[in-house]
Amino acid sequence: MTQVEHLTVDDARWDTLFERTRGAVALCYQCGVCTALCPWGQVREGKPLSVRSLLRRAQLGVPDDHEDIWLCTACAQCESLCPRGVPVAEVFQSLRGMAWEERRVPKGLPSVLWSIYWNNNPWSQPPSHRSRWAKGLEVPRFDPSEHEVLYYVGCTAAYDRRAQKVARALVKLFQAAGVRFGTLGDEEPCCGDAAKSLGYTPYFEEIVQNAAQVFAQNGVRRLVATSPHCFDTFRNYAPRYQADFEAEHYTQFLDRCLSEGRLRFSREVPLRVTFHDPCFLGRRNDEYEAPRRILDAIPGLERVEMARSRQDALCCGGGGGRMWMETSAGERFANLRVQDALATGVQVLVTACPFCIACFEESVKAVGAPNLRVMDVAELAAMAIE
Amino acid sequence: MATSLYGASEAQDVICVFLEREGDTLQRVSLELLSKGRELADEVGWKLAGLLLGYYRMLPLMGQAFEVGADEIWVAEHPLLKTFTVEAYTSAAFQVIMNRKPSIFLCGATPNGRDLAGRLAVKLRTGLTADCTDLRMREGGILVGEVTGFGGGVLALIKTPQHRPQMATVRPGVFPLKPPRTERVSRAVEIISVTLDEAQVRTRVVEQVVGRGADITQSPVVVVGGRGIQGRFDLLRQLAELLGGEVGATRPPVDSGQIERERQVGQTGVVCRPKVAIVCGASGAFQFTVGIQHADTVIAINTDPEAPIFETADYGVVGDALQIVPALIEALRNSRVAVTSG
Repeated sequence: MTQVEHLTVDDARWDTLFERTRGAVALCYQCGVCTALCPWGQVREGKPLSVRSLLRRAQLGVPDDHEDIWLCTACAQCESLCPRGVPVAEVFQSLRGMAWEERRVPKGLPSVLWSIYWNNNPWSQPPSHRSRWAKGLEVPRFDPSEHEVLYYVGCTAAYDRRAQKVARALVKLFQAAGVRFGTLGDEEPCCGDAAKSLGYTPYFEEIVQNAAQVFAQNGVRRLVATSPHCFDTFRNYAPRYQADFEAEHYTQFLDRCLSEGRLRFSREVPLRVTFHDPCFLGRRNDEYEAPRRILDAIPGLERVEMARSRQDALCCGGGGGRMWMETSAGERFANLRVQDALATGVQVLVTACPFCIACFEESVKAVGAPNLRVMDVAELAAMAIE
Repeated sequence: MATSLYGASEAQDVICVFLEREGDTLQRVSLELLSKGRELADEVGWKLAGLLLGYYRMLPLMGQAFEVGADEIWVAEHPLLKTFTVEAYTSAAFQVIMNRKPSIFLCGATPNGRDLAGRLAVKLRTGLTADCTDLRMREGGILVGEVTGFGGGVLALIKTPQHRPQMATVRPGVFPLKPPRTERVSRAVEIISVTLDEAQVRTRVVEQVVGRGADITQSPVVVVGGRGIQGRFDLLRQLAELLGGEVGATRPPVDSGQIERERQVGQTGVVCRPKVAIVCGASGAFQFTVGIQHADTVIAINTDPEAPIFETADYGVVGDALQIVPALIEALRNSRVAVTSG
């Protein structure tokens, strides 16, 4: 237990938090399910992240300058069983927002936001290189009179060389299914997930409003996103800012293409795989089946489940802005998740999120499992078409 | 609004830069500020002074300050100024400033510099523009500090028209360091006596520890090792030394404790901008290459010709770094090439 000699209660702080979470902090009645479920408890022996006490301190208006407020990966493991429906990750974001105002922010995070501001991506990459991932592919500029859907690539798939392969596989699949699609090229706006996760809400609002405006100007009514993080932002946050478009994750879109008979898998992919549910697709958006249906439609592919899957899937550790913060070697959720996959004896750990891929590939090396491949659903699907 | 202890009419046409020492040399940021101060002073025909506080071996420091452009150095010597304590330094700086009344006072935004500038501004009842990203001189000797804030990308231009001195702090690396002056100019050293009382110093220096952590962001050459060098950082260190550079690492060697976390290059480590980055035995994960993408030239050595690092590199060597690096060290020892900073 933490030894606390005295606490300073700050009513103004409580009022601010109450307002920013739209009253959600008040709901918590301190049962502690959140602390018990939080994956940090699995990597920090005897020193779990006490979500419950952070919420209590928030309710009392006790200032929290602890590093703990930066740990949350927004995985929603706690939210899934919270009897009071507290949006815990949003409370963490609000606490982070106050830390920004008080200039108590971990090193390196301001430059992530500055990068979005200057480069339109959180990875410090040149804006003029945004469409380079598509080199040699036929990817037209989106035109509402011709195209049924906008392919929203997203910053990570546009720049991360590993994730670029996913974007290229998706283009191949769209073409095979005869999908009339286009992208916004170098003008594609950042979704702002990093700013939201890191708690800089005013800037996030600006980014997402800007994105909605760009989509409106380009006549976008429907978009398909590579990353569950962009998808989540567009689906759940953009509507708060008068956005008028529908967002889908690519697994949902491909799943529909399959059921409508537009997409067919003809080649055998004789691999034994297991699917990891990305938090922002599964728990955050309740989509567990679409990626599984795609995998099950691939001839020759054998899919098994890990011991904890769907609602109980363990987070990779990359959400909540953690992609931009260092996690010490012994505390990475992804190491445990790779062990989960190894226990099933599969050849491939499949996921559908570029952050999960980055974390798992790192952990496959760290854990020393050179025979376990990390792949995206799109990559396997692309192997199954001619 | 309270008035400052002296106003624009009493202020002298001088820009004063606080000179912070680091052992026997001046901190780079102090020299950067002198370079910038020289430029600003020349615009309005003012003098540039350096404020040096300390107790021993001040002469070499003065030489450096003159070289980069100071017209005069104001020196205060006192046993209590031997090491930095915020109380003694604030009091001494305050006495010197009240004696000379400069129009502008600049200070590096280092931990000690920030500590000093804040207290000094309050004591002088003047304004302080902290963490400037640029400084400009306006008509009538008005200093305009450019300050950036996050959230909508605010760029604020701040001036202190009524109060003197006009104070600003600037982070290291914001202004370039200009080459030393060659022409002979007048050099004046003025010793200003200050009165300090031990009772006012409430900080006790228990021990001074010089961190061994290197600042690879400042190094012109960075030799980076990945998993592929199998912990042979001794080799990379030799190579880096010969090239006048520092050693960096990717995440796996840091994780396995082969090298300190401070040397991790990448998104969650250090982002560096060397002239040359030599990347040995690293596959080139995106989160790492973010840390070297601003290097002028990237040279990669990797056994795998398909390694993504070759897409980032300007020059690529397909081969085992453990064989190539020793050969490179040998060749450099014979030719004695070095890249100089600046």
